[in-house]
Amino acid sequence: MRKVAVLGVGMHPWGKFEEKSVTQMCREAIAAALADAGLRWRDIEAVAAGSSRFSGGKGWGLNGNDVVEDLGATGIPVYNLSAGCAAGGNAFHIGYSLVAGGHHDVVLVVGGEKMPKGFIQTSGVQEETDPEYLRQICVGMPGPAFWALLCRRRMEEYGTTEEQLAQVAVKAHQNGAHNPRARFRQELTLADVLQSRVVSYPPRLYEICPVSDGAAAAVLCSAQVACKHTNKPVWVGGSAVATARFDDGIPRGLATVVPAGPTLHSEARLAVQRAMESAGVGPRDVDLIELQDNTVYYELAFPEEWGFCEAGEAERLVERGETSPAGKLPINPSGGFLCFGEATTAMGVFQVCELVWQLRGQAGARQVPGAKVGLGQTLGLGGNATAVVLRR
Amino acid sequence: MAESRVANSGAAPRRIPVMEGLFVETGAGPRLVGSRCGGCGTPYFPRAAACHNPDCGGGKMQEALFGPRGTLWSFAVQHYPPPPPVKYDEPFEPYAIGLVDLPEGIRLLARLSGARIDELRAGMPVELVLERLCSDAQSGGEFITWKFRPAAEKENRE
Repeated sequence: MRKVAVLGVGMHPWGKFEEKSVTQMCREAIAAALADAGLRWRDIEAVAAGSSRFSGGKGWGLNGNDVVEDLGATGIPVYNLSAGCAAGGNAFHIGYSLVAGGHHDVVLVVGGEKMPKGFIQTSGVQEETDPEYLRQICVGMPGPAFWALLCRRRMEEYGTTEEQLAQVAVKAHQNGAHNPRARFRQELTLADVLQSRVVSYPPRLYEICPVSDGAAAAVLCSAQVACKHTNKPVWVGGSAVATARFDDGIPRGLATVVPAGPTLHSEARLAVQRAMESAGVGPRDVDLIELQDNTVYYELAFPEEWGFCEAGEAERLVERGETSPAGKLPINPSGGFLCFGEATTAMGVFQVCELVWQLRGQAGARQVPGAKVGLGQTLGLGGNATAVVLRR
Repeated sequence: MAESRVANSGAAPRRIPVMEGLFVETGAGPRLVGSRCGGCGTPYFPRAAACHNPDCGGGKMQEALFGPRGTLWSFAVQHYPPPPPVKYDEPFEPYAIGLVDLPEGIRLLARLSGARIDELRAGMPVELVLERLCSDAQSGGEFITWKFRPAAEKENRE
């Protein structure tokens, strides 16, 4: 396997862009990534795109082929990856694998989304065999309610308080305020968060990420190409994709088996463990994490599940400011999904952008001092997860 | 308890399962209808056509009934009217949704009933009931689904 560098990254801001198509937003992100890499469109040998365009219907969402035609059809291979909110991470992993395996020297990874209104809808398939449909029809359960269920269990097991949950959102917005590409850049006080409407107790409005339009791109290349453009490349230390294990206790439909051990998102842990193992790093070696914070709960649970702190310790880390950029365990210095909103297929690539800027020392007021190793992780509907370790 | 929407009499509205084949009233009370693998014993709800345990050596799927006892693992409160296709009666009233562990080894999602929201606690014993989800405007009947309510403190074997 060859060494792979992330040579350039680029991002369209996150928000609501009525006048722009997803292809246009991607075009801007790609132009920025190519400029950052010092390359041209003709240099791209393959494209790996995160795609939420499901077969059988839903028209919204990125299609990598549209992007290639828009930039100029050169006959290169296009891979459209579908994995829910993990699609961008899947696209990154495929792009990485194509270079690592010696198939191509320069690959473009892109994710972009133009989201329909409201909380993320499911596949929209109204069939009794569809697990989301069963939840909606028989139990009356929309997406955020599941996060609420996990969060409440944590509160009962570890005594997490509403203030501690809110503190995660406050920290996120402190970071987002320093990120010009974030959608929500206003700082929030603890009172602001605690007074926001309860969506599905415990999470409140400001503790759940909304949906956004957005696009991000990354140019990956071989060591040989990288060294022609920079003498200090950002390397991919490890990359992994995983799906959920049968017995992790998290129902993806109506039911699952009662687990023998703890209940957790096994797909996220597997992906993170594999990526870190490939990179030869342990939790102590990681300087920052960009994780999928659809809701504040994940910022507490995930670091524990992945061995970054003891069970039940995450709340104290947040309270002591250790998850801020200058702390011992910086989490989501970008401002995370809470400040960007989720543009499903773009999130994995958005994380790569932030990791690269951090490792290059280009993150301005949200810079993690001396960042050398960064971890990114996404989680997608259907038990999908990805993780990446970048280092410099 | 159930409001009648039938104009002609005070008869209770017709109970229509919100989806067929998921639950049944037995002589011993309500039960959920699922499957159990004859090979590895893994339980499934709803019914499964094949075993999804990756370590299963192979076995015939058998119909299995689950319930009525369980333990509440956790719950959430739905505060806002959910988007379609979720159905509810107007005006919307917040309700609780639980994740319940059954001794048969299955963990499942269910509406919760028979308790104020502030009375619910993770870890509390619960029991299965079949109750109204919402009205069916077309037929004047009511849709029935499975729910769990707090179990009686002492088990009275009858």
